[in-house]
Amino acid sequence: MLGQYLPVVVLLILAFLFAALSFVASRLLAPRRPHDRKAAPYECGIIPGRETPERFPVRFFLVAMIFIVFDIEIVFLYPWAVAHGGLGLFGLVAVLLFSLAVFESFVYLIGNGALEWGPVRRVRHAVSPARTSTSTIRRAGVREVGLEGRTIGDESGRAA
Amino acid sequence: MENLLDGWGITLATFSPLVGVAVMMLIPKEREDQHKLIALVTSLWVAFVGVLLLIWFDLDHTDKLQYVVDKVWIDVISSRYAVGIDGMSLPLILLTMLVVPLCIVYSWNHFPDPVNPKAFLILILILETGMIGTFVAQDLVLFFVFFEVVLLPMFFMIAVWGGDDRRYASLKFFLYTLFGSALMLVSFLALFFLTGADTFTFSGLADAVAAGGVSRNAQLWIFGGMFLGFGIKVPMFPFHTWLPDAHTQAPTVGSVILAAVLLKLGTYGFVRIAIPILPEAAVSWAPWIGLLAVVGIIYGALGCLAQTDMKRLIAFSSVAHMGFVMLGIATLTDFGINAAIMGMVAHGLITGMLFFLAGSVKERYHTLEISRLGGLLVQAPRMGWIFGFCAMASLGLPGLAGFWGEFPAILSAYNPGNGVPVETFRTFMVIAALGTVLAAGYLLWLLQRAAFGTPPEEFADDPHITDTTKHEWISWAPLLALIVAIGIYPNLVFRVTDGAVDASLTPCLSVEGEAAEKLDCAEVYKIGHDDGHGDGHDDDGHGDEHDDEHDDEHAASGN
Amino acid sequence: MLAVATPEVLWWALLPVLFLSVGGLLLLTVASLVRRLPDWLPQAWTVVTGLAVLVACVPMWCEVRDEGPRTTLAGSVAVDGSTVLVTAVLAAVVVAVALLARPYLRREDLPGVEVYVLLMLSAAGGVVMASADDLIVLFLGLEILSIAVYVLAALHLRRIESQEGAMKYFVLGAFASAFLLYGMALVYGATGSTRLALVAEHLSATVLVDDSMLLAGIALLLVGLAFKVAAVPFHAWTPDVYQGSPTPVVAWMAAGVKAAGFAAMVRVLVTSLGTHASDWAPPVGVLAVASVLVGAVVAVLQTDVRRMLAYSSVAHAGFLLLGVQAADADGTAAVYAYLVVYALLATGSFAVLTVMGGDGDAAHHLDDYRGLARRRPVLAGAFTLLLLGQAGVPFTGGFVAKLGVLAAAVADRGYWVAGLAMLGAAAAAFVYLRILVSMYLEDPDAEAADGSTGPAVPLGARVVIGVACAGVLFVGLVPGPLLDLARDAVPVLVGS
Repeated sequence: MLGQYLPVVVLLILAFLFAALSFVASRLLAPRRPHDRKAAPYECGIIPGRETPERFPVRFFLVAMIFIVFDIEIVFLYPWAVAHGGLGLFGLVAVLLFSLAVFESFVYLIGNGALEWGPVRRVRHAVSPARTSTSTIRRAGVREVGLEGRTIGDESGRAA
Repeated sequence: MENLLDGWGITLATFSPLVGVAVMMLIPKEREDQHKLIALVTSLWVAFVGVLLLIWFDLDHTDKLQYVVDKVWIDVISSRYAVGIDGMSLPLILLTMLVVPLCIVYSWNHFPDPVNPKAFLILILILETGMIGTFVAQDLVLFFVFFEVVLLPMFFMIAVWGGDDRRYASLKFFLYTLFGSALMLVSFLALFFLTGADTFTFSGLADAVAAGGVSRNAQLWIFGGMFLGFGIKVPMFPFHTWLPDAHTQAPTVGSVILAAVLLKLGTYGFVRIAIPILPEAAVSWAPWIGLLAVVGIIYGALGCLAQTDMKRLIAFSSVAHMGFVMLGIATLTDFGINAAIMGMVAHGLITGMLFFLAGSVKERYHTLEISRLGGLLVQAPRMGWIFGFCAMASLGLPGLAGFWGEFPAILSAYNPGNGVPVETFRTFMVIAALGTVLAAGYLLWLLQRAAFGTPPEEFADDPHITDTTKHEWISWAPLLALIVAIGIYPNLVFRVTDGAVDASLTPCLSVEGEAAEKLDCAEVYKIGHDDGHGDGHDDDGHGDEHDDEHDDEHAASGN
Repeated sequence: MLAVATPEVLWWALLPVLFLSVGGLLLLTVASLVRRLPDWLPQAWTVVTGLAVLVACVPMWCEVRDEGPRTTLAGSVAVDGSTVLVTAVLAAVVVAVALLARPYLRREDLPGVEVYVLLMLSAAGGVVMASADDLIVLFLGLEILSIAVYVLAALHLRRIESQEGAMKYFVLGAFASAFLLYGMALVYGATGSTRLALVAEHLSATVLVDDSMLLAGIALLLVGLAFKVAAVPFHAWTPDVYQGSPTPVVAWMAAGVKAAGFAAMVRVLVTSLGTHASDWAPPVGVLAVASVLVGAVVAVLQTDVRRMLAYSSVAHAGFLLLGVQAADADGTAAVYAYLVVYALLATGSFAVLTVMGGDGDAAHHLDDYRGLARRRPVLAGAFTLLLLGQAGVPFTGGFVAKLGVLAAAVADRGYWVAGLAMLGAAAAAFVYLRILVSMYLEDPDAEAADGSTGPAVPLGARVVIGVACAGVLFVGLVPGPLLDLARDAVPVLVGS
C-alpha cells in the first residue's frame, strides 16, 4: 500500500542529496578569503555603526489577516456552493449566519482603522495620550514597561 | 431521664460561645470592657449549662449516651448531626467548660501584646465551641469538623499573641496537626466505605466492623491512619516536637488551653473512636502504642532534665504525662482506660495550673530562664507555695489528682487486656515506674531552682514582683480545689467514667456476638449491653481480679 | 441532486450558546460602528447577557430533569444536567468578571470593549465544550474558548508580563490542542466514530484485540485536556499566565476555563471511555497526586500572591482529578460540586486580587498584603474566608468539596491517592496561611501605613466578593442542595 509513495520518497532523497552535495562541493572547491568589509551588510558604502533595525508597518500584518479571514470564508463557501441544492434553506441560512460572523470581523477591523493608509489617526487610546517621546525613550529598556503613563492612569483611577 | 435539656442541651452548650462571638463582632474593638464582660458571661453561661447537664446526667447509666440528638446533617454523604454525652466525655467537657472562663478571668487585665482583647476573646470562644463539639460528636464527619475548628484559633493565638519565635512555632503546630488529621480523614472515609455502613456514627460503624465487613489488614491500616492523627495531637513520642515549641511561644492562656484540653482531643479520639470501632486492630497496635508511650515517658522526663526554660520544661513534662495516659489506653483494659481518662483530667488541671504559674512568673520576672530565677518563696510566698503544690501534684504525690492518673495506669500495664502481650507490658510497667522517679527528679529540681533559695540580685528589689493577685486567685482556686478534691476522692471521676469505659470495651472484645443484630437508630446508642456486664460496676470494685474475670469472658466468647 | 438530511435542532437547548455568541458579536458590531460608546454599556450588556443565560438555564434544568437528558444537532450536543450546570457556572462567572472588568479597565486605562466581547465568545466556546457529545464539537468548543482566552491574556497592552504570559499560553496551548486532536483521530481510528455515544457503544459491544491505538488516543486526549485544566506535568504555563494576565481575566481562567475543561474531561473519560477506566484511571490518579503535591509544595515557595494562587489552582485541579479517577457517578458528582465551589472561591479570590493590584496591576507581592487587616478589615475578612475555603476548612464550601472528591477516591479504593492528596492539601493550607499571616500579623510598610486606607473597592468587586463569600459559607453550612444538584448533573450518554 505504501509502495505508491515510493517515487515521492525517492525524490525527497534525491533533493536532499543534491542540496547536501552542493554545499559540500562549494565548501571544498571555493576559495575562502573572509574580510570584514565583505561580511558587513551593504549600506550605500558606509560602514554601519550599529545593527540595522528592520521596520515595516504593522498594517501589512493586518492586511494579511484580513486576507486570511476572507480566504477561510471562501474555503467554506466553496463546498456549500457545490452542495447547496441538497442543503436547501437550512444550508442557506447556515452559510448566511457564517458569512455574517466572518463579515463581522471585517467590520471590526474597518472600525478600528485597519485599512486607513493615510496620515496616522490615533487609534483610540491604546497607548496613553500622556505618553511622550521623552517618557518613552527614558523608560525604554526598563523592565517595568507597565508603568509608563502612570500619572495619567493615576488621575483617572482616582477620579473613578 | 426527663429533663429540660434533653434534646438540645448539648447543642446549646456547644454553640452558645458562637452567639457570644457574633455579639462581640458587632461591637467596635475599642470597647474592651464590654468585650471582656460578654466573653466572661458567655463562658459562664456555658459552664452553667454544663452544670445543668451534670445535674441531670443519669449517673447510674454512664455507659449510655445521654442528651442524644441525632438528626440528618449532610444527607448525601450520610453524615449526621449526632451528639451525646456519656461517662467518658462528661469529665472532659466539664474540664473544658471550667478552664475557659478561668482563662478569661486570668487574662482580664493583662492581655499579652498586641493586646486587642476583642480578637483574643473571640478566638477563645471559638476554641470552646470546637473543643466541646469534639467531645460531644458521635459522628465521624462531625467529629472531624470540630477537631479541625480547634486548629485555626489556636494557630492564631500562638501566631499573634505568642513569644518571639511565634511564627515558627505556630506553623509547626499547624502543619503537624494538619498532616495528622489529613491522614485521619482518609482513614475515616476508608472505614466508612469498607464497612459499607450507611452512617458515619460511631456506633453504626462499630457495629458494621463487628459484623465483619472489614478485613483485618484493612483494619490495621485504618487504625494506623487514626493513630497518626490522634497520636500527633496527643502528642506521642516521635511526633511530639511541635509541643515544646508551641507551648513555649504560646501566650499563657493559649498554653493553658492547649495543655488542659487540646491534647486530650487526641487521647479522647483513641478511647472514643479508634479502639471501640477497631478492636482487633487495637489489639495488634497496642504493643506499639505502649512502646511509644513508655519511650515518651522516659524521653519526656529526660528532656525535662535538660531544659533551661521553665515553660519548655513543663511542656516536656506534658509529653511524659501523656505517655502515662497512652500507656493506660494501650493496655485495652477497663482499668487502664479509666486511669487514662483520670490522667487526662488530672493532667488538664495540674499542667494547666503550672502553665498559669509559668505565665505569672514570666509576667513578674520577664524571663523563664530557670538559672535566672530563684527565691520565689521569698518574694511571692503564696505563689511559691502554689507552685510547690502543683509540682507535687504533677509528680504524682498520693492524695492529689496526679497520682490517680499515673499509678493506675502503671498498675494496669501489669495485666493488659485480652490478646495483648503480657510480658511486654510488664516491661513497660517497670520502665514507666522509673519514669515517675524521673518526674519527681525534674519537678523537685525545678522547684528547688526556681522557688527556693534567695532571689537573684537582678530581681531582688524589683517592685513588680508581687504576690498572687486577685484575678490569679479567682482563676486558680477552682483548679487547686479540684486537684485536692479528686486526689482525695478519685471516685468523682472514676464513678462517671467506669460504666462508659466498660461499655466501650465490651463490644470490642466480644466481637462476633450480638453486634450483628440489626438495631434501630435509637437503640444503636446503647453501645453497651446493660444486661450482661453492667451490674456490679457501679461500686468501684474494679481491680486486677475483676479484669481477669473479664478476660475470661472474652476468651470464652471465641476471640 | 440528493437532498442532504439536515439535523433536528432543539433551539431552546442552544439558547445559552446563542445568547453568548450573538451577544458578543452584536456588541462588537455596535462598538465598531459607534465611535464613542459610553463605557458602562459594554459592561451592562455583558451582565445582561450572562443573566439571560442564567435565566435560560432554569427552564432547561427543569426540562432535563423532567423529560430526561437528550442530544441535539445530530447527536453532537448533549442536553443534560451537566450541560446546564456548567453553563450556569460559566454564565455566573461571566457576570462576575464583567463586574470586575470595568473598574479595572478604567484604572489601567485600557480599551474597553474587547474584553467583554472575548469574554462572551470564550464563554460560548466553554458551553459548547461542556456540552459536546462529539469529539469534533468538543475540539471546536475548546478552540473557541482557548483562542479568546489567549487574546484576553494579552490584553494588558502595557505590561510586558501580560504579553509574555499570553505568548507562552498560546504556544503551549496550540501544542496541547494538537495533542488533543491527534488523540481524537486515534480514538476515531480505533472505534470508528467521533460521537461519544457511539464510541461507548462500540467499546462495550466489542472486545478490541489490539487496543494500543485506542490507548494511545486516550493518552493524547488526556494530555490535551490536562493542559487545559492545568494539571502537573502540563501546568508550566499557569504561573506565568496567571501572573501576567489582567486579573479579572485570571478569574475567568481559573473558574471558567477549568469548569469547561473538567466538564469535557468527565464526559469523554468517565462517560464515554468508562469501559476502559482501568486503563486511564491510574494515570489520572498519578496526575492528581502529582498536581496536588507539586501545586502545594511549589506554591509554598512563591512570594507573589498571584503565583501562589496559580499553583494552588494546580493543586485544586489535582483534587478535581481525584474525583475523575474514581470513574463513577459518585466521583463525577463530587467533581461537579467541587467545580461549583471552586468557581465561587476562585472568582472571589481573584476579585480581591483585582482590587489589591493597584495601578499597573503590579502590587501582588506578599508584602503588599501586610497589615491589610488593619487597613481594610472587611476586605481582609472576606479574603480570609475565601482562602480558608480554598484550604478546605470546615464550615466553608471548600471542606464539602474536598470531602466529596476524597470520599469518591476512597470509595474507589484509592487509599494511597487519597492519602497523598490529603498530605498535599495540608501543605497547601500552609500557603493560604502565609497570606493570612501576612494580612493579620505583619505591620504594613511605612509607606502604606501612613494614612492610607488601602485600595478602593469598587461596587462591582464588592458585589462579586460578597456573593462569593455568601456562597462559600452557604455551601459550607448547608451542603445538601449543592450536592443534590451535582448528583443530578452527572452526564448521561444518549445513544443514537
